[in-house]
Amino acid sequence: MKNIIYTFIFSLLLTTQSFAQKKELTGKVVDKTNGAPLEGVNILIDKSKVGTSTKKDGTFTISLKSSKAVLIFSSVGYSTQTVIVDKNTENLTVQLVQSATDNAEVVVVGYGTQKRSDVTGAITKFKNDKLDETPVSRLDQALQGKIAGMQVQNISSEAGSDAKINIRGISSIYAGAEPLVVVDGQPIADGLAYVNMADVESVEILKDAASAAIYGSRGASGVILITTKSGKADKVKFNFKYSVGGKTDYKRYDVMTTSEYVNRLFYEEQLQINDTLETKTPITASNNERAAYIVESKLLGGNGTDWQSQGLRKALFQNIQLGASGGKSEFKYYLSAGYQRDQGMMQNSDYEKFNIRAKMDFSLSKKAKLVFNVNPSISRKESPSVNFTTFVRYPSFMPVYHNDSTINLVHQNTQWQYLSVGDFAQPRHFNNLFYQGYMPNGTFWSNSGADPFSSSTNSPTSILQSTSIVNKDYRLQASMDLTYKIMPGLDFKSLATSYFNYTYGLNWASKNAERDGTVSRGVFTNNSNIDLLAEETFNYTKNIKDHSINALLGFTTQTTRLVKNQVAGLDFPNDKIRTLNNSTIIDKSSTVGSSNRVGLISYLGRFNYSYLSKYMLSTSFRTDGSSYFGPGKKWGTFPSVSVGWTMDKEKFMSNVKAISKLKWRLSYGVSGNNRILDFGFLELLYPANYAYGNGTGNTTPGQATSPTIRSNPDITWERTFQKNLGLDISLFKNKIGFTIDCYQSKTDRLLLQQSAMAFTGVPLSWNNIGSLQNMGIELQMNTNNINNAHFKWITSGNISHTKNKILELGNEAYLLYEGERNELYKNIVGGPLIQFYGFKTNGIWLSQQEIAASGLTSPFRDAFNEGQLKIVDVNNDGVLDNNDRTILGSPYPDFTWGLTNTFSYDNFDFAFTFQGSQGGKLINGDPNYDETKKLVRSYNDNRYISPSNPGDGKTPTYNKSGFNWMLTDYVIEDASYYALREVSIGVKISEDKMKKILLNGARVYFTAQNLYFHNAKGYRGINPEARYTNGPYASALVGGYQRGAFPIPQTYVIGIDFNF
Amino acid sequence: MKNIFLFSILVVSIISCNKNIDILPQSNLYDEVYYKDYDQFNAALTGCYNGLQKPMLDEWSLTELRSDNAIMGNPTSGSIPNRELSDLDLLIPNPAHERIYNYWLNSYYNIFNVNKIMSNLAIKYDSVNGALNYDTTSTPVTQVQRKKLSAEASFIRAYHYFNLVRLFGGVFLIHKPVSPAESKFINRSSVSDVYKLIIADLKNTVDYGNGNPYQSIGYTDLGRVNSWSAKALLAKVYLTLNMKTEAIPLLQDIYANSGYKLQSTYADVFSITNEMNSEILFTVRYKSGKIGLGSPFANMFAASSSGNYIVNGDGDGYDYPAYDLDSIRPNSTGNNFDSLRGSEYDKTDPRRSFNIKKYGTKLYCSKYISNLIYEDDGENDWPVIRYADVLLMLAEAQGFIAPNSSSVQLINQIRTRVGLASVNPQTVDEFYKYLSRERRFEFAFENQRWFDLVRFNTTLKPHFAEDALKSHFTYMYNAKGGNHYNQYLPMINLNALLSQVNQDHLLLPIPRREIDNNTNLVIAQNPGY
Repeated sequence: MKNIIYTFIFSLLLTTQSFAQKKELTGKVVDKTNGAPLEGVNILIDKSKVGTSTKKDGTFTISLKSSKAVLIFSSVGYSTQTVIVDKNTENLTVQLVQSATDNAEVVVVGYGTQKRSDVTGAITKFKNDKLDETPVSRLDQALQGKIAGMQVQNISSEAGSDAKINIRGISSIYAGAEPLVVVDGQPIADGLAYVNMADVESVEILKDAASAAIYGSRGASGVILITTKSGKADKVKFNFKYSVGGKTDYKRYDVMTTSEYVNRLFYEEQLQINDTLETKTPITASNNERAAYIVESKLLGGNGTDWQSQGLRKALFQNIQLGASGGKSEFKYYLSAGYQRDQGMMQNSDYEKFNIRAKMDFSLSKKAKLVFNVNPSISRKESPSVNFTTFVRYPSFMPVYHNDSTINLVHQNTQWQYLSVGDFAQPRHFNNLFYQGYMPNGTFWSNSGADPFSSSTNSPTSILQSTSIVNKDYRLQASMDLTYKIMPGLDFKSLATSYFNYTYGLNWASKNAERDGTVSRGVFTNNSNIDLLAEETFNYTKNIKDHSINALLGFTTQTTRLVKNQVAGLDFPNDKIRTLNNSTIIDKSSTVGSSNRVGLISYLGRFNYSYLSKYMLSTSFRTDGSSYFGPGKKWGTFPSVSVGWTMDKEKFMSNVKAISKLKWRLSYGVSGNNRILDFGFLELLYPANYAYGNGTGNTTPGQATSPTIRSNPDITWERTFQKNLGLDISLFKNKIGFTIDCYQSKTDRLLLQQSAMAFTGVPLSWNNIGSLQNMGIELQMNTNNINNAHFKWITSGNISHTKNKILELGNEAYLLYEGERNELYKNIVGGPLIQFYGFKTNGIWLSQQEIAASGLTSPFRDAFNEGQLKIVDVNNDGVLDNNDRTILGSPYPDFTWGLTNTFSYDNFDFAFTFQGSQGGKLINGDPNYDETKKLVRSYNDNRYISPSNPGDGKTPTYNKSGFNWMLTDYVIEDASYYALREVSIGVKISEDKMKKILLNGARVYFTAQNLYFHNAKGYRGINPEARYTNGPYASALVGGYQRGAFPIPQTYVIGIDFNF
Repeated sequence: MKNIFLFSILVVSIISCNKNIDILPQSNLYDEVYYKDYDQFNAALTGCYNGLQKPMLDEWSLTELRSDNAIMGNPTSGSIPNRELSDLDLLIPNPAHERIYNYWLNSYYNIFNVNKIMSNLAIKYDSVNGALNYDTTSTPVTQVQRKKLSAEASFIRAYHYFNLVRLFGGVFLIHKPVSPAESKFINRSSVSDVYKLIIADLKNTVDYGNGNPYQSIGYTDLGRVNSWSAKALLAKVYLTLNMKTEAIPLLQDIYANSGYKLQSTYADVFSITNEMNSEILFTVRYKSGKIGLGSPFANMFAASSSGNYIVNGDGDGYDYPAYDLDSIRPNSTGNNFDSLRGSEYDKTDPRRSFNIKKYGTKLYCSKYISNLIYEDDGENDWPVIRYADVLLMLAEAQGFIAPNSSSVQLINQIRTRVGLASVNPQTVDEFYKYLSRERRFEFAFENQRWFDLVRFNTTLKPHFAEDALKSHFTYMYNAKGGNHYNQYLPMINLNALLSQVNQDHLLLPIPRREIDNNTNLVIAQNPGY
């Protein structure tokens, strides 16, 4: 920026001098540190497109049109330098300084920082460049596709919801496979949710065990270090950013209307009647379907309701940021305030976040330095109480509100006399009535007592309007650290941080919100989470000639107190008054409370040695004591060692001109995982009351064991041993840079919610069994394709591949888990973590003859019906039964990748990011599940109708589906995709115009997300990233399932950025 | 100086911090500190009573729905919960069936809690002699307390195993807490071994349970099982095993000495203002008031899509009465019956109007519906053993002696109470028909019918459950049965449907998960699944 300003000033000076003279200038460009001549340096005469570049020996010749000129020298890996020449300048020598992005770059590591050149572990640094212009409200979403080895999946597209993050695959089976998030030194579980992206200076991802082992018991799944911005000793700088935009769904389900569906049934019936091969009675539209058809075609005039449009909306995205920073050497500050609003595409889905941060650095004396950092924030999240799926599968004949015709119809039933036009129409209003009218085939039909849509629940729109689910998080992260220089090279740092999160939630349902005769209900949640951390570290740095050492020794203790209170009040006098004092009765079954503490004590140390930044050695250890485990099982030790070799500094490499940098890194380390539920080592008792006594009885307190999981007093740490071999290589004067890392990790003593025999009384039990292996390779690449003063083109990309394998599971050959629809997930020793387990199919049965000819038998209901999935007799025993289940695929992608291209031309910049995942499979629950499958066209096109009209021979008929609750390969689909994740276009508004209004610069930008999304062939849903993660899917052993996926959001934002 | 100061802060913080990781639960009690005194055992026992509620959620679907009393209310629906009910209605459940698994798990969960109490009381089951052994080791409670606690706990265990063995056959016989690792080496037991434990458990209750007659039971003890409950349940066990001579003295004892008696009207038995009345020997209790003990059955069984016409919060339309139980048949001739099935209620039978009501054209089971303020928060208890059952069991155990004999009079006691004319069967066959029919009407929707039908296969020979079920399927397949069974999609023809009624399908499949989950042992599935 400075260069541009100087250039600007000088160019002003130049233009005032009109006595132009031509001049031939020669010179040389060298590296400032070693004086070596530099080849290929771009030299440009300012404000013109005329330029040249240096030769092999660093020399150049350039002809100037005037005697005074400003020359701009630029080269990859060096800071751009501006030189003013006048008529006296001869034989110019320019010394270029290597740019900060290379050698001097500092990387944040656990409990300290390290020079990039000395790093021996696998750490990826992501600097917040334009990260905060990404039109998402959370940091994790902004990081998607940007870092090799880190997989970010937007499993839910609801505003403000958590993304699923894995670093280097899944190193743990139960729950703790999410990386540890550390914000300014304090581990905070929901760090990615609340940190204001504009405050972020950099994000470092510690991927291998050697760099994560310093976080000991919590480092096994990688560590994400978030460092916020600090003030710099400079004049005060203000920054104001504003962006606004909208969000809309990329793609919806293609749903048939009731009329289309009934027309189809009549058409199919006719085909069946005409089919001489059909032996069965043709299937005719049922009375209920006919009644629905009459409502839509007659009472709604053929205009059914598009329920997806009822559920979705065009949503708003807004981001306002204001920041100030500056200071003097003894006092520096960074202050910011930010507001973000991220509406969901779904009605009643809204996320707002307000952040303030003050970070101050004080130099108390020559020896003492104090940093004070405080970040209060408020976020508000509103969630819809109805799933999008409900809208998708809601029949179109149901009007949202009653009109004159429908009200006349439902008034047949005296129970609904009180309804009038404009009231919400509910399914039950249409049941048990007399219907008559013409069918699609012209016949007249009448019936009394049809139930066109049997459901006790209100329509989704009416539920949404009478419910609200709002959660507010009030957070305060505050920290203070004092660094004291005990003697030269030895620092003592004492850090105290606190994190307070108070969550207030109200889940409200008005009277009759969901059903008739339900009272109003308010579920009030008050949760508090207080986390305190104290950390004392000694840091010793010493350079003796070519040797430099750095040692760290520390002690830290952390305690977390979690208090949860949830009270449900019922029956409020008025739907507007929503405080607990007005409730008539408390619902004990929804009223819960708990108070628990979690503690951790740790000792840690690290020793780094570097010889000329050529040979590096680093070792670290950490000993953790955790309250999660029982007596005798609390303590664990996590050591690591890593070495590095900067090969390009060797003499024999000096001739290899193509290689400008070559560094090898090798590491080995142990890290752990303790993230289980509290007190897995104790058999807890829970209230289980009962009423004894005459009359209605008196409630007597009772206690019973956990109905879900059995404890295990011996459970302890999970350990992950990881080896990493890394290579950093830069070619052609840093034009191309690669970082390649290969790793192998092995986790043993897996903390497992092991599937227990149900006759023990619980379905699960805690155990430490088994081991798991992850192997992978990741590649991060940066190329400077074009780099001259005007035009720059940078490409950065990453690709990673992980393969996991179960090495052993105690005495078991496999584990087996069920999902929500009894679909099975098998975890087999020697195979990947999850494999889908079910039946292979081979198209559908086309005729009774084919069934008879097969000679197969089966105990299953509906195993043999024409038009229904044909199960393969895998074991060839002539019987289709559970022994024919087999492996159907695995959810893990072969590789994930991201590719960003950034272009800039003078004041314009343009960037786009592609991101993708290749090779994983998913279970699409929709074509399996009658209600979602019934109306969606992609599950019904080309379906079987009759022997002569078999459709595509693969799609089962709706009415003869049979196996729809058992897992078959019919619903296993390719989850591969690639997306044009981000496009951004920006322009700097030239300073001279801005100068008048005292601005240092301004930028206007436009960004868009998900402009294009490509799904794999065979994927029939609308969002291949969507996954279920609750209930059985919370386990890492069960996954890869989606049903009723939410549409992918497409976001457009324009923004402006002022600096003054 | 400063350094020393800082260092001392460090040291202090280290010393004071070990308590930071020695943390015990603050919001839950836990095993190691529990089962230490009588109050705690009593609370654990109360937990077992509470555990009776959960299996009830599914029991109706495994018993009434499979029998000829109830049908699936929404046969055309393809939703998974409805399909699972359809499977039971059609007698072709899948081993992966959610309800079957839930019933299994919830029953065993409660058995585990009973086993916890028994092992902490140092009472072991001797599987060789079929008896409970009271170890001589000292226990935290007195001998009297120990016997009282174990008497109630062993009843609950026997009750669950009795249901499990009747539904699944030989199940896994767990009579002490087993670890998850041990469980992988336990296979199914034989039916007779299961009954051996049931009998031992019930004898324990008979011996040590409260033996006071009804009128002398302390009113705070009502709702707890006692010696009489155990005698009645044991009599049913004997009847099921066709050991009629063992059942008779137990039933006669209750008849003569228990103080339990019939209520004056059928409605009084179930009235929520008359709970724990003299007819209730054992019931699963519910209590409204949003304290987590409310009965969900009013909402589950009320007609679906009825708004708040029947109960607040609408109904699900489950346990839908079969037409051949209600006298909805247009050309009903009233009091006729075909074979064992007993045909439909007499139109004037007050039990019909009490048990079955109509919403529009829909029938629904109204037995457990009382005025409901809050959804899923009913007051109605679910009776398990009633005095009426004792009378009819005694009639069944004694069998047909002669016209107007005591067995016949037992049946007539039930009929007289509801204002129906006495019957006087002249033959064994007629007696069986009247007995079967009376049980069906009296205990409709009390989860008895399925077990009765299966039991009649041995006690009322040659009347077979299969015949009754086939007759029900045929009736309900046709127009007079509302074409119920031919509405299912894919359409099932009657012969295919009737072929589902076989000996194999009188047992449920062992949950698939249980078989899949054991890699050490091969666990046999029940035949036919």
